[in-house]
Amino acid sequence: MTDASMDTPQPRRAKTSLMTEDARTKKRNASEKRFQAYGIAAIATGLFFLVVLAFSIVRSGLPAFTTTVVDVNFTLTQAQFDEAEGQLFKTKAYSGYFITALQQKLEAENVQVAFDEAAIERIMGKIGGTLREYYTANPDQLDEEVAFKLNAASRVDGYFKGRVQRETLQDSRFLTLADLDLVDALAEAGIVHTTFNWGFITGADSGVDNPGGAGIGASVVGSFFMMLVVLFLSLPIGVAASIYLEEFAPQNRWTDIIEVNISNLAAVPSIVFGILGLAVFIQFMHLPQSAPLVGGLVLTLMTLPTIIISTRASLKAVPPSIRDAALGVGASKMQSVFHHVLPLAMPGILTGTIIGLAQALGETAPLLLIGMVGFVARGYPDGLIGGFTDPNSAMPAQIYTWAARADQAFYEKAWGGIIILLIFLLTMNIIAIILRRRFERRW
Amino acid sequence: MYDAPHTERDVDQQDIKISARKVQVYYGTTHAIKDVDCDIEDKTVTAFIGPSGCGKSTFLRCLNRMNDTIDVCRVEGDISIDGEDIYDKRVDPVQLRAKVGMVFQKPNPFPKSIYDNIAYGPRIHGLAKNKADLDEIVEKSLRRGAIWDEVKDRLDAPGTGLSGGQQQRLCIARAVATEPEVLLMDEPCSALDPIATSQVEELIDELRQDYSVVIVTHSMQQAARVSQKTAFFHLGNLVEFGDTGKIFTNPVDSRTESYITGRIG
Repeated sequence: MTDASMDTPQPRRAKTSLMTEDARTKKRNASEKRFQAYGIAAIATGLFFLVVLAFSIVRSGLPAFTTTVVDVNFTLTQAQFDEAEGQLFKTKAYSGYFITALQQKLEAENVQVAFDEAAIERIMGKIGGTLREYYTANPDQLDEEVAFKLNAASRVDGYFKGRVQRETLQDSRFLTLADLDLVDALAEAGIVHTTFNWGFITGADSGVDNPGGAGIGASVVGSFFMMLVVLFLSLPIGVAASIYLEEFAPQNRWTDIIEVNISNLAAVPSIVFGILGLAVFIQFMHLPQSAPLVGGLVLTLMTLPTIIISTRASLKAVPPSIRDAALGVGASKMQSVFHHVLPLAMPGILTGTIIGLAQALGETAPLLLIGMVGFVARGYPDGLIGGFTDPNSAMPAQIYTWAARADQAFYEKAWGGIIILLIFLLTMNIIAIILRRRFERRW
Repeated sequence: MYDAPHTERDVDQQDIKISARKVQVYYGTTHAIKDVDCDIEDKTVTAFIGPSGCGKSTFLRCLNRMNDTIDVCRVEGDISIDGEDIYDKRVDPVQLRAKVGMVFQKPNPFPKSIYDNIAYGPRIHGLAKNKADLDEIVEKSLRRGAIWDEVKDRLDAPGTGLSGGQQQRLCIARAVATEPEVLLMDEPCSALDPIATSQVEELIDELRQDYSVVIVTHSMQQAARVSQKTAFFHLGNLVEFGDTGKIFTNPVDSRTESYITGRIG
């Protein structure tokens, strides 16, 4: 207390009633209210975009999970088979039988529509070839009724999903307006209908001219192998590095430099890691190109800084009193770390690891450079054992490939792929939350 | 600079447990402990008193080399326990800390069960041959910590769920479970209420039967109540060291007198 304040006869603060708000308080309260309003507005904006995003992903992606099939029961007699095989244009004979059978079926259902072989081919592909292939492979099925499930052409599929519309359809060699009448008739007879597309979830990519057959399954397997590599390399390396840096290393210029560089690595663009992987793993070490092993190695480099930073943060968050307590009863440094500090830091480490993995799972750029965007029509899971070194794609790279293709039908495949990718990411985040809850202990 | 007059001390040389000579402690460039000489007797409670920042805790932490964990801290001089220099190159601080137990200012039980809190030390030092042996050590230690009756029915409950006073007695029990020879206590009651404090003080008095206890305290009343010897630290110097009764009733140094009468500190 200074002399000056003692001399002041008037108190600085005027006597006021508690019942009325003075100007200053009003101003402060108003600014607090304003700040809260900003916060709520920010959250609302974020939520709005999230909802829009989720809605558009689901709306654009859901059609990828259904497909239009031609469901038809067909019997080929031994006599017909012999006759067809005796002709010059064998497949033409097969499609002739098929069309006759289809016509009979439509007549039985009382549906009147005229069509020719070309229309059938436009709607369900080269049926003759398919039939011949089937019966030459399974001669015992002759004279038996066989239920064929044929994929409809992608434009027909698009017609069912609203992508192709009568009003805007231009007659072309792919589809004509008259074909749509046939499709409607077939749909009415229950021969053409949409069904769940298991092929999309289990299948491999298809050619650019066959969007209907494209599936994400093979690249899910590729991503899975990459994540295995990332997990088994980055978790032990990252945790060991952070424990050493945080608990054992002396605090000097060298550890400072290492620390700064680890933080810098976390900010390096992922494409740089990709070109590094291309130069080191493929060109120098001659590891197989496009293989999940190489992808995993590159993503490990990317994930390590994330894991090290989060692990160090969670080690730092363990109160020093726990270390003191352990040292105080005569535990060695390593015992104090492994018996007490590490278990307490575990939830943070696991969360950081899973978030790092999720980041790696969604990474596309480095994969482009090591060639994991190739067209893979390989029939996984037959080649599961060789999966680490066989060429494969990954989910985000597959989505990128589809998005870059011209055919409209690949557009929905890309969105559908995003839905699958998001399901994996959400699952991983939920696992992270569950693990954190399970391991969390209070002190 | 050595302020405590030798003539005033009445120390039986036979019973000396810890002996410190010309101890200097530096934190980086700060000279925290200056030239401290001090002999701590066996089966005695020695209290370190002094104003905040005077170096009493720092000196205490020198006695079991807890200062080793601080990078910038440097200790010079000789400290020996039973005539063995604890800062000798051959001494493993981990082995030393098993011999010199420590209780900290803030109760810091492990976030484990009460049983595991006590059993941890004996386990890592291999003191128990089997489970029954370990059970016995746990019970004995909890009884020594004067907390057995309160926790015997819930040994599986987490140690962190106990009250502050119980936690501190649990920490004392944990410290005695490894059968140390010296027990260092760094302001063990500063986070406790008066009832818990008196329980811990009674406990300290009992522990004196078997251990050499060194306690750092801010409360002069506490020092007067529990200790037989008192050391007064001021600005890194050991100003006066002697029988507690004498320090509190008839201090030699004017700084000691000022402190215990409340003029400095």
